[in-house]
Amino acid sequence: MAQINTAFQLPQSIRKDTLAYRQKLKVFLDGQTTATAFRACRVPRGIYEQRQAGEFMVRVRIPAGMVFPGQMKRLADLSRTYGNGVLHVTTRQDIQIHELKIEETPDVLESLLEVGLSPRGGGGNTVRNITACPRAGGCPDEAFDVRPYAIALSEYLLDFESSFNLPRKFKVAFSGCSQDCTLASVTDLGFFAHENDGSNGFAVYAGGGLGSNPRVGVKIEDFVEVDEVFQVAEAMKRVFDAHGDRANKHQARLRYVLDRVGEGEFVKLYKTQLEKLRQEQLQTPAIRQISSTSNGGASSTARPQPANGYEDWRKNNVLAEKEPGEFTVRLRLDLGDIPAEDLEAIGSLAQTTGEGFARTTQTQDLLLCRVREEDLPFVFERLGALKTEVVNTAGPKLVACAGASTCRLGLCRSRDLAKAISTELRKKDWPIQLSSEAIRISGCPNSCGQHYISAIGLQGRAKRVGGKLVPCYVVLNRGLAKEAQARLAEQVGVVPAKNVPALISAVLKLLVGRRKEQQSLESAVADAKEEIKKLTAGYSHIPSIDEQPEMYRDFGATVEFSLAGRGPGECGAGVMDVIRLDIDQAKEALNNAKASSDAKGKSNALYGSIVAAARALLITRGLEPSKDRQIFAAFSEHLIEPGWVAKETKELLDQALDYRLGDTDDIGHLEEPVGRMLVRVEELFRSLDANLNFRVEPVSKQSPKEKPPRDAEHVIDLRGVACPLNFVKAKLELEKIAVGQVLELLLDGGEPVANVPASFTEQGQELLEVSQCGECFRVKVRRVD
Amino acid sequence: MGLTEQQIERYSRQIILKEVGGPGQEKLLASKVLIVGAGGLGSPAALYLAAAGLGTIGIIDADRVDLTNLQRQIIHFSDDIGKEKVASAAEKIKAVNPDTAVETYLERATATNIRGIIKEYDFVLDGTDNFPAKFLINDACYFEKVPFSHAGILRFDGQMITVLPGRTACYRCVFDKPPPAGLVPSCSEAGVLGPLAGVIGCLQATEVLKYLLGVGELLTNRLLVFDALGLQFREVKVSRNPDCRICGQKPSITELADEEQAVCDLKASQ
Repeated sequence: MAQINTAFQLPQSIRKDTLAYRQKLKVFLDGQTTATAFRACRVPRGIYEQRQAGEFMVRVRIPAGMVFPGQMKRLADLSRTYGNGVLHVTTRQDIQIHELKIEETPDVLESLLEVGLSPRGGGGNTVRNITACPRAGGCPDEAFDVRPYAIALSEYLLDFESSFNLPRKFKVAFSGCSQDCTLASVTDLGFFAHENDGSNGFAVYAGGGLGSNPRVGVKIEDFVEVDEVFQVAEAMKRVFDAHGDRANKHQARLRYVLDRVGEGEFVKLYKTQLEKLRQEQLQTPAIRQISSTSNGGASSTARPQPANGYEDWRKNNVLAEKEPGEFTVRLRLDLGDIPAEDLEAIGSLAQTTGEGFARTTQTQDLLLCRVREEDLPFVFERLGALKTEVVNTAGPKLVACAGASTCRLGLCRSRDLAKAISTELRKKDWPIQLSSEAIRISGCPNSCGQHYISAIGLQGRAKRVGGKLVPCYVVLNRGLAKEAQARLAEQVGVVPAKNVPALISAVLKLLVGRRKEQQSLESAVADAKEEIKKLTAGYSHIPSIDEQPEMYRDFGATVEFSLAGRGPGECGAGVMDVIRLDIDQAKEALNNAKASSDAKGKSNALYGSIVAAARALLITRGLEPSKDRQIFAAFSEHLIEPGWVAKETKELLDQALDYRLGDTDDIGHLEEPVGRMLVRVEELFRSLDANLNFRVEPVSKQSPKEKPPRDAEHVIDLRGVACPLNFVKAKLELEKIAVGQVLELLLDGGEPVANVPASFTEQGQELLEVSQCGECFRVKVRRVD
Repeated sequence: MGLTEQQIERYSRQIILKEVGGPGQEKLLASKVLIVGAGGLGSPAALYLAAAGLGTIGIIDADRVDLTNLQRQIIHFSDDIGKEKVASAAEKIKAVNPDTAVETYLERATATNIRGIIKEYDFVLDGTDNFPAKFLINDACYFEKVPFSHAGILRFDGQMITVLPGRTACYRCVFDKPPPAGLVPSCSEAGVLGPLAGVIGCLQATEVLKYLLGVGELLTNRLLVFDALGLQFREVKVSRNPDCRICGQKPSITELADEEQAVCDLKASQ
């Protein structure tokens, strides 16, 4: 294997695992494993299916964001040979190769291995890429260079099989100072570099995260010595492993453990693990300082005269580093995309100048660091020759998630909105400041675009106007990632998508005049809070479809905005929002009916409530009928017939239809059945899992054909199930697994935990563990016979 | 096949049993049992088996419900008088457990029809009230190799035995042939205590479940005798008779025939 320059050394276990993947794929392609089983094998290896069926994406982890010329060339080659020729930098410093065929993935993985790269842990319930400040080593604000620790911790954690089988994903970030360019304050485990009495160490935060239920991390360590990062990370990983909710993917992340047990208990759990680990004498990899690997070729070439635009470029895209005479050059990428040939060219450039490699950033850009001042004109010239425009960049940085154009559950087309905002802002001549601050856009509440920590953030949402859906965005302000001061953005209003570019333009215009020298965007936004609120309100009106039909179409879409076809995927939070809307509407109508003294008004309100309640869940079945009759028919077919809703509801719908058709004048007596229907609909709504399956039992004995998928692990959540039915269910589950395998149960305290484990022992099964996690208990039983 | 949520709840108290569990319950739901006679013994047996989640219960009986039946044949209610017994029993079984399928045969079990019926079943429960029928069931089960539970009740006494044809002592190994008519009084002459039918019928249902689940010791090679007045159970050891006319070494019965004995007065008794 060719010797490749790199900082991070892939553990042997990952090499072995990568070479074993080809056989696993073969077994699947030969039809010997199911697609579901194979999915469980490929996703933790960072191989995802894209929205287009049959197209795959490989997410390659780039520890600490350092990517070397040989690696860049290989990524470019692979993208050109097998993929679509465009690489994508993610907000967690990974690089993705898109549009691969599944048959090609073993070649891609093995080829990446040759240059010391792997997508292992790029997806699934694993330790994800460990990130670090993109300017670490050169940033004037940093306490010290955090990269060696991010690299060594990656090498340490990735060597354990347990790191690839956690309750959910586990993200770790290292920030060199409190400014928190890595978002360590809102991640599962975040390290902040500090110097204390001459020794280097970290303040540590844990349990933060964005996503559909965001929260800021809590401090678990004031200061630990740098060489203790392994113990700290391993301890928190074990807390997560033991207490993360494996039965409910929705509430599995570390922040839910924190929510469940409370901050005090959370820290105690961690400290207990840490004490144990301190006794254990971990085998940890060496911590190696990162040095420059550039051949300095640039400095020996003839220096070009600074060309046109050089000064603007320097002002906007070049930052001084702490070492005098050394500079960081930013290559601003449009939403993280970069053509393969450009990535390769940047690799060659890095080889001859700066530190010898490039960095990926949390704002989806690339950086060249430690570039000597005399090399800047040369770098400028070479960058100008790229296919991508990275020299003349203007306007604020936009970060967006994949959005509804490619993500299966996105509500709004966030990338198209980002482009529309760019176009709008290009009309103006904005004074630009080089900073990591960005406007962040998520197409749905899942926050992949990290809008919650943005000074100005946007989150996709659908609104219903006159029975039609309108693509909208929630406008959020004053989010901030910063050590000890992190805060989630607050909502200031909701505007239709088509008004967003104009609103952003107006807000920035307002701020340009106000923002003081060195003032952060967050603080400037805070100062103008009330005015921004007013501006937002001014843009929030939604005209009728006849007045302005384009309001009812999303950016980049030619047809009316619709949620039909949005199916199960990674997450369903956007769809949840829309369902909530209907349920609220149904409730309101029911309340109006109850309050109404006039028979006609009461009947009308009840009818409205029935329609909204019947419509609410249809989207989860991929349906979006608009006519009442179709809504009733679809509800009957997809919710009543499979047994999700009681049969009596069919009569209710029939009577509602009679009323609609004028066969009956009064349906006031239906108040109670409507209430019952609504209760059931809401119950089903609350039970929806990530794949949009209901997790409650059907009301009738006909069970639906499609059962919720079972997690790969043998886990059953019996919280809320009384004795002895909990034992019955656990026993039935145990009978399904092979002798020697282990079943894990979650039980309520009191009678359940007193009876169920004892019953298993009585029946000759082996009880391995009973441990408390929060208010419930985790029990592990091995099947003996 | 898997159990539905409702089934898990309905059968939870027997699924809990180590000897039953999910597989056992699924086995019961897939099993078929024939009850010959929807009378004193068949009534409690049918109800308990339905409640336990038997997949299919077959009932053969040619009679209609009579007022005198109600004292002990608890599957029939006052409103059922005049109704076919099989129809009345099927209704109750369905009411107890809609999971259980019911096959009804509105006919008397005879040498010509019985083999065709029992070969469809996993087990036969003899709930008849006369000797020729009991020998007929014994012989038919031997030919079809279907295990069965024999039982009989009279006045305050009951008896029962489980037969695995060709493997354990059969009814003929013990009794050879029906007694001469008139020697043993039939129910109408002797009377019978109602709960006695319940005790023995329930024991028969217990044997059915044990056999289907493959657990415990079956009542084979032992004739159980119950004396309600003394409230005593007694066991009589029996064994296969090498000279048995049907399962012995040189069997003389090679085809099914109805025994020659006047059946008891069914109108008055059962």
